[in-house]
Amino acid sequence: MEASLPISAGAERTVARPAAAPASLATPAASVSLPLRFMMTGLLALMAGVIWLTVQPTVLSLYHYHQNVIAVTHLFVLGWITTVVMGAMYQLVPVALETKLYSERLAKWQFVLHVIGFAGMVWMFREWNMKQVGHFGSVLAFGVLLFIYNIVRTLLRVPRWTVVAGAVSAALAWIGLTVVLGLLMATLKTGLETETTSHSAVVAFMQRLRAAANTLSHFGAISTMHAHAHLGVVGFFTMLIVGVSYKLVPMFTLSEVQSRRRAALSIVLLNLGLAGAAGTILKNSPWRIAFGGVLVAALAVFGWEIRAILRARKRRALDWGLRHFLTALAMLIPTSVLGVILAWPGLPLTQRTGQLENVYGYLGIVGFVSLAIIGMLYKIIPFLVWFGTYSRHIGRARVPALADMYSPRLQVWSYWTFLSGLLVTSLATFWASNAMIRAGGALVLCSVFLFAVNVGLILRHYFRPQLAPLAAPKTVQKAVT
Amino acid sequence: MNTPPLTEELVLDTLRQVIDPEIGFNIVDLGLVYDVRIDNGFVKVLMTLTTPGCPMHDSICEGARHVLLGLEQVNDVDVQLVWDPPWNPSMMTERARQALGVTNF
Repeated sequence: MEASLPISAGAERTVARPAAAPASLATPAASVSLPLRFMMTGLLALMAGVIWLTVQPTVLSLYHYHQNVIAVTHLFVLGWITTVVMGAMYQLVPVALETKLYSERLAKWQFVLHVIGFAGMVWMFREWNMKQVGHFGSVLAFGVLLFIYNIVRTLLRVPRWTVVAGAVSAALAWIGLTVVLGLLMATLKTGLETETTSHSAVVAFMQRLRAAANTLSHFGAISTMHAHAHLGVVGFFTMLIVGVSYKLVPMFTLSEVQSRRRAALSIVLLNLGLAGAAGTILKNSPWRIAFGGVLVAALAVFGWEIRAILRARKRRALDWGLRHFLTALAMLIPTSVLGVILAWPGLPLTQRTGQLENVYGYLGIVGFVSLAIIGMLYKIIPFLVWFGTYSRHIGRARVPALADMYSPRLQVWSYWTFLSGLLVTSLATFWASNAMIRAGGALVLCSVFLFAVNVGLILRHYFRPQLAPLAAPKTVQKAVT
Repeated sequence: MNTPPLTEELVLDTLRQVIDPEIGFNIVDLGLVYDVRIDNGFVKVLMTLTTPGCPMHDSICEGARHVLLGLEQVNDVDVQLVWDPPWNPSMMTERARQALGVTNF
């Protein structure tokens, strides 16, 4: 059949050569419950982390090479961010790349390993039992291996290679490297204990691990920790946020990527900058400022492209989920400025410098990555619940739109309390004021609580679907009257 | 009760009951319905979605099929999804553009 498109509307009618959708697009996403369980676990970890910061403000007012700081940081980055990001990737990578997830069963096993791994690691970091950190870290690492394998197999099904696919691939490589470096650090700290097993394969593996860990002893412990942190936060989180932005921002604003070359350049620069920055941070080399500059250039190119996408958007009003996300991207500006200052050669290592490093980490993990994720969760969680509850009712009953599933008022309040809390906590961290950190933490906690209430409102649709009968079409109504 | 004849207008009015949940507007005014053919109680709909790979693909197409099967005059429905030409916001009706604040053409 020949089409004259679209018959309902529009100003522009283009020549129609209808091409049927390929069968592979039929059900690209994972089942609803899989990503939801990652997200709910992540949300619990976020609440625990924010409560921890509020109850024990010294984790921000003291220098970060401390067991409590390292424990709470891993609660944020593994328990909250990585858990949600992995759940979202199982959902979004197939959608963004128009393919199917390789194996949902592997993802379910990975979830179990991930939760055991991160919970045990946080607990053992707090106890400063590095041997057990290594054990739980190995469980987590095995889960990460399954995750990487699953996503790589999914990427191999991608019908056409895009900037987003490039960013996802790079992010997988960086998270692998981050985990390996983390395990080597734990191995190095446990010392060279003798094996309690006589199994030759285990002994051989341990010997190799120790040999690799020993190479790290040439570098400073703090430099290694900073390199590890940058590999994870920039290589995995930032790489993914930058990559998926090129798909999600145009999708939600009715726009298009304005320059594919610019988008690709930002990903290339981000990879080059991170490779150089991680190496120079590890060696405590003054050249880290140069690679820091490359990272800033990558983010500037990214910002330039996002600005162009937004200027070309057809949907003028930006919803609050998207505002969360774009505000998070804007947080890259103060974070980058701090990064450049801290990378400056010859910067004196004073107590104030240490506090500035804490602000840098806090802004990066909470201000940028966490806010971006909360913004995207306002899109992803309603979609998952809607899909699980209402998709079979379309055309049979009136179903709510995604934006009708939560309270916009709570969302706005949550946004502003988050930003207020972020500002207060950042300033308080710089001044090492425990009372102010507690006040800022309480504001962020309020924001997270409001977000959790909204998530509860969304989840309520699972248990109490809000269906209404369909109204008769106008044409039928006219005929009846 | 008078049963109205099965016309394109009736089919489109009926399809207006199917919404795209992300955008929150019906598929007809969004310009997602490219063509409707009626042949003796058999309705063939050619439509698209706003984004290729949209996971709501099955739900929306099945919803469109089901809502039309609810019409007395319809015996069977075939909903065909196409990606070419790709959808763009200029395909929306004036009503949808105003409701969604879509500009910049």
